[in-house]
Amino acid sequence: MANVLTLKTVKLDQVTPRWWHRLGGIRTAIFYAVMVAISAFSLFPLVWMAGTSLKTAEEANRSQLNIIPEDAQWDNYTHLLEDSAFQRAYLNSVFVTTMVLIGTTVSVSLVAFAFSRLEWKGRNVVFALMLGTLMIPDQMTMVPQYVLFFKLGWLRSFNPITLPGFFAGGAALIFLLRQFMMTIPKEIDEAAMMDGANPIQTWWYIIMPLCRPAIATISIFLFVGNWNSLFRPIVYLKQAELTTMPIYVSLLNNNQESPIPWQNIMAASVLFVLPVLVTFILSQRFFVEGITLTGSKG
Amino acid sequence: MANQYRLENIFWALGTVAFIAITSYLIGLVAKFLVKLRGFSETEQRKAFWGALFAGPWISGFFIFVAGPTLVSLYYSFTDYKLGKPIEWIGLENYRVLLKGEGTYGGRFKGAMFNSFYYAAIGVPLQIVTSLGMAMLLNREVKGIRLFRTIFYLPVILAGGPAVLLAWRYMFATNGGFVNVSLQRFADSFFLFDYIYRSVVYVIESLNGFYIGMAVRDDPIGPLKYTFPALLGLFLIGPLAFGEWEESKRNRARRIIEILGAVLVGVLFSKGLAANPINPVWTYAFGLAGVGIMLLNARAEKWSAIRTTQIIALVLIAASLVMTLEAANFDPTKGDTPKYLIALIVAALPLIVPFFGKWTTFTTKLMLAAAGILGVIIFVLLIPGQLDGGRLELIFRYLTFQSAIEQPNNMEYLEEVFPFETISTMWFYGSIIVVAAIAALLHERYPKQRRVFLYAAFIFFALIALNSFLDTRRYFQDFADIAKANGKPNYHFARFHEFADEYPENRRVPFWLTNDIWSKPSLVLITMWSSGAGMLIFLAALKGVPRSLYEAAEVDGASGVQKFFKITLPMISPALFYNIVIGVIASLQTFEMVFIIRTTETESSLMSAAFFLYQRTFQQLEIGQGSAASWILVVIIVGLTAMQFRFSKWVHYEA
Repeated sequence: MANVLTLKTVKLDQVTPRWWHRLGGIRTAIFYAVMVAISAFSLFPLVWMAGTSLKTAEEANRSQLNIIPEDAQWDNYTHLLEDSAFQRAYLNSVFVTTMVLIGTTVSVSLVAFAFSRLEWKGRNVVFALMLGTLMIPDQMTMVPQYVLFFKLGWLRSFNPITLPGFFAGGAALIFLLRQFMMTIPKEIDEAAMMDGANPIQTWWYIIMPLCRPAIATISIFLFVGNWNSLFRPIVYLKQAELTTMPIYVSLLNNNQESPIPWQNIMAASVLFVLPVLVTFILSQRFFVEGITLTGSKG
Repeated sequence: MANQYRLENIFWALGTVAFIAITSYLIGLVAKFLVKLRGFSETEQRKAFWGALFAGPWISGFFIFVAGPTLVSLYYSFTDYKLGKPIEWIGLENYRVLLKGEGTYGGRFKGAMFNSFYYAAIGVPLQIVTSLGMAMLLNREVKGIRLFRTIFYLPVILAGGPAVLLAWRYMFATNGGFVNVSLQRFADSFFLFDYIYRSVVYVIESLNGFYIGMAVRDDPIGPLKYTFPALLGLFLIGPLAFGEWEESKRNRARRIIEILGAVLVGVLFSKGLAANPINPVWTYAFGLAGVGIMLLNARAEKWSAIRTTQIIALVLIAASLVMTLEAANFDPTKGDTPKYLIALIVAALPLIVPFFGKWTTFTTKLMLAAAGILGVIIFVLLIPGQLDGGRLELIFRYLTFQSAIEQPNNMEYLEEVFPFETISTMWFYGSIIVVAAIAALLHERYPKQRRVFLYAAFIFFALIALNSFLDTRRYFQDFADIAKANGKPNYHFARFHEFADEYPENRRVPFWLTNDIWSKPSLVLITMWSSGAGMLIFLAALKGVPRSLYEAAEVDGASGVQKFFKITLPMISPALFYNIVIGVIASLQTFEMVFIIRTTETESSLMSAAFFLYQRTFQQLEIGQGSAASWILVVIIVGLTAMQFRFSKWVHYEA
């Protein structure tokens, strides 16, 4: 009995020992094993994709488990890069994404500025309204927007994809940037105002340079979102000249050849995924911070 | 030449910039003017101008792309607009077709909702478990943890585009696809693994087969549909009848009943809409549900909840009034219309009463209850066939331990008569609300009578639950026997039997994407693979739990499991809540996955609501029906979100 009392009074800071504490090293090993297993599961499709892209047609359709191809067929890639349809789709994707990026970042920063650095009557009302639109599902507005674009004659152009972003589309991004802007000390604005700067000058010369990290975050979200975007392009970019990469890749799905040329499909997929992958790896810190800041998924 | 289109786009982009600049300037002027009207100072006016100018792009975008389209889509939903053809008003026809599930497209919509329910009920919990598990693993300060975090999150980025989904499609190939080949190897390696493999395949196939079999039938579960409300009643009434009448139990009961009431309201309103001609009888019933909920909230003094329920119920009754008149071409003397109108007005009365009395007085509550009961009586007298002898007989039979099946050897009876001629489950669910409301009312003045009343209610629900369950067995058995005797398939379990009979001698290979039994599990698996986004939310929440809580618990000798359920879960409940909401909404909105992995055979089993919308609106150009579908979808989503905010009380925010 005395021993127990000593234990409790002297070693109060220590945790009640439990059986798994004594395993020590084994626990860590198991932990890492589990982590590696999950990582393998997460990365696997990507690795498989890359491996298959270098196989021959016959090898790709075999029921074997070899990830590494017997004979790397780099030709699969060169053929693809020479294909004019592929080139056009890739360039279109680049074009569309750039347009959206430029237009949206500029307008989002303008609007975020209005909600964070400027004081005006009605700011709170409009801000609340903006947050409210976050709750409206896309499905609500998609249908009439299609009719609108039909009436504008925009159904055979890039316009429905690139232009709506110019109107600061995406309340989540505005919110993110606004939160960031709120962390800038007010004294800076006031100093600028004292010196006679109008709001536009304040915005461009003072606030924007300070917001570079947040702008970078937004750009990354926009880039990934738009590069991968399938739904709007499928609806609006039905013509061959307008095809973007996601459409191109999804059309590969309908390949009726036998055997299905999976190696070529995978090669195209790899090239499609590459920019996003690289961007993500280089900037994954931004992603994580951006998501936990807004609670959105980009 | 693609360049022509790109140049065209740049040209339009410049035009748009000019447009935005001009409209923003105008919006700024309007803001300045409005502020001036309200009598504010020169400085305020100037500030308003600049503020509105900068916010201008969003404001004009809002009107052009959000507000305008929303109103217009409401209009379109009442028309049969097909793009390129003239518009014709058809009233509620679109909604009717979709809600009733009739016709090819109504049927597809119903199928899509059914699929979404599967994704929400099975996919979302699995996703939550996966992401929480990954988050808990990542919640350590060890070397390389950031690398693992990046890797775990990667699938989210990749799954956003079609490329990796195609890779999955390739891997899911039935013969020789990576997944199947590795599963075979796994099963081959050790006899125990083989056994596990076969069991898992068997379970998945049987459950999915059963689910699909049920979807085909109009009334898939027979008397079992009465067991569910009876069990719910037991679950709610039981603790209150036999234990202490304590606040936590009452609160829990009240929350569940509010959800029940909200769902009931939604279902009844849609049934009323779907009937042709419009049947306001259904909409009447939720007026009563509203009354019950209001009584419960009055007891707990939740005044704002009462007001909300009141207003919603009144709005819906007003809508029903308008629709009833519209169906009768605004001639209130035609046919049954006068009865419907009276019933609706009587339904509205108990809801209007609270506007004139003080909620705190017992008298007001009593008046409310009396008005509600009077309403039920009038309702039953006025509208024939709702609660007549034949239907009440079912309740009588269950209460006296008899089967409700009258002609077990008659195929036509079992198929056509029994499922539909019996009492609607709406009455059972509604009775739960009524019982709870009466119990709440009795509490203050008559505690002993209250307990007796609850015992009686408990016995009632227990008998219904027990006997309807036994009756279900009889029903399925009779059905199987008579179907066999007549050489017909046993509908209820048809797909189920295909597989259940084969276990375990055959080693079955999962068909994944080419078979409607396996298509949904494939989608769920891919979703689980890309559940990294939820993982980040959980991770942030986990990091917010103070270590001191865990340490205190460990000193007291708490086990890991106890720590998880008593500390971790409550502390991360906001994140849990959020992920559930987002998960359910996402299950309605999945598009890309369905688009990429579908085949002609599995399209209908994979279809989500968003995909249905895509097909109808953008492929078939049926703007009218598409708009109606989008509104139904939006109402569901907004309702879910609102309900979550309403019930976020169980979520523990930082104390």
